[in-house]
Amino acid sequence: MKITTRQLTLCAVLAALALALSYLESFFPLALLIPLPGVKLGLANIVTVFALYTLGAPMALCILLVRCTLGALFAGNASALLFSLLGGFAAMLVMIALHKSRLSIFGVSIAGAAAHNCGQVLAAVLTLGNAAPLSYLPFLLLVSPFTGALSGFIAALLFRAMKNIQLMQ
Amino acid sequence: MNNSPKLTPGKYDLIVVAAVLALAALLGARFWLSPAPESGTLLAVVEIDGAEVDRFTLAQAAEETRTYTNNGVTLTVAPCATVKRDAETRTQTETAGVRVVSSDCPTQDCVHTGQISRAGQSIVCLPAHIVITLAGADADYDLITG
Repeated sequence: MKITTRQLTLCAVLAALALALSYLESFFPLALLIPLPGVKLGLANIVTVFALYTLGAPMALCILLVRCTLGALFAGNASALLFSLLGGFAAMLVMIALHKSRLSIFGVSIAGAAAHNCGQVLAAVLTLGNAAPLSYLPFLLLVSPFTGALSGFIAALLFRAMKNIQLMQ
Repeated sequence: MNNSPKLTPGKYDLIVVAAVLALAALLGARFWLSPAPESGTLLAVVEIDGAEVDRFTLAQAAEETRTYTNNGVTLTVAPCATVKRDAETRTQTETAGVRVVSSDCPTQDCVHTGQISRAGQSIVCLPAHIVITLAGADADYDLITG
């Protein structure tokens, strides 16, 4: 696969944007509203969805990897890496599988959000060596259509705004 | 753009929402349908890094607060008392469950979880790798009557 400078630059910008969004997210403590560990808006997923459609699956995966690694590095938390990687990859795989289906960006994003929750709970189960975190999964799944629809909505706005802008040549 | 997404939600998206909610209900059913036994017979099991370190009945929990430290994080577990009125309108307090009253972890998820009072419920502290699970009491405790 040959990567053009334009693609590489776009990847770097999107990775930086995803990092900034996941930092921004920490200012919206959704966990105070819904007292569940792991509840978050998933704003960084907007970037993943956008990259998946504009750059394709391989480059969207690269952006995800960079975001998770640098995010854990900045947070200074090694176990956070396992959480964001398992959550992120679960969401990525599901969205890769669905992004060419008849689903709109909303359905793809909601499926991604639900998969992200499953991945995170799996990471918690692996970290603790105990199945107890599984009992949080139903509640997290109930929240995911809302958070998924929100990031899908923002991504749809983004695509509308970008309609007349030629990103790739 | 090589393949532009559909930007307005359609009926297929509802299938995704339904599937997610069905999965939640399926997983939740197991959890919600678990019986709520007499609270005094419930057993709290504390695990650190997957290994059991403590086990106590809720009746024992009423006597003291317990602290657990792991991975640089200290949790304080305390009983939650509820006032119960019995048939003769005598009131008595009973330990209904346990909760983490304080933790010095940054996320405070375990504190926000609040009280647990049914078998199968648990409080998870990820930074400390501590899990507190409520289980039905062992057969041994069936003999305690007073």
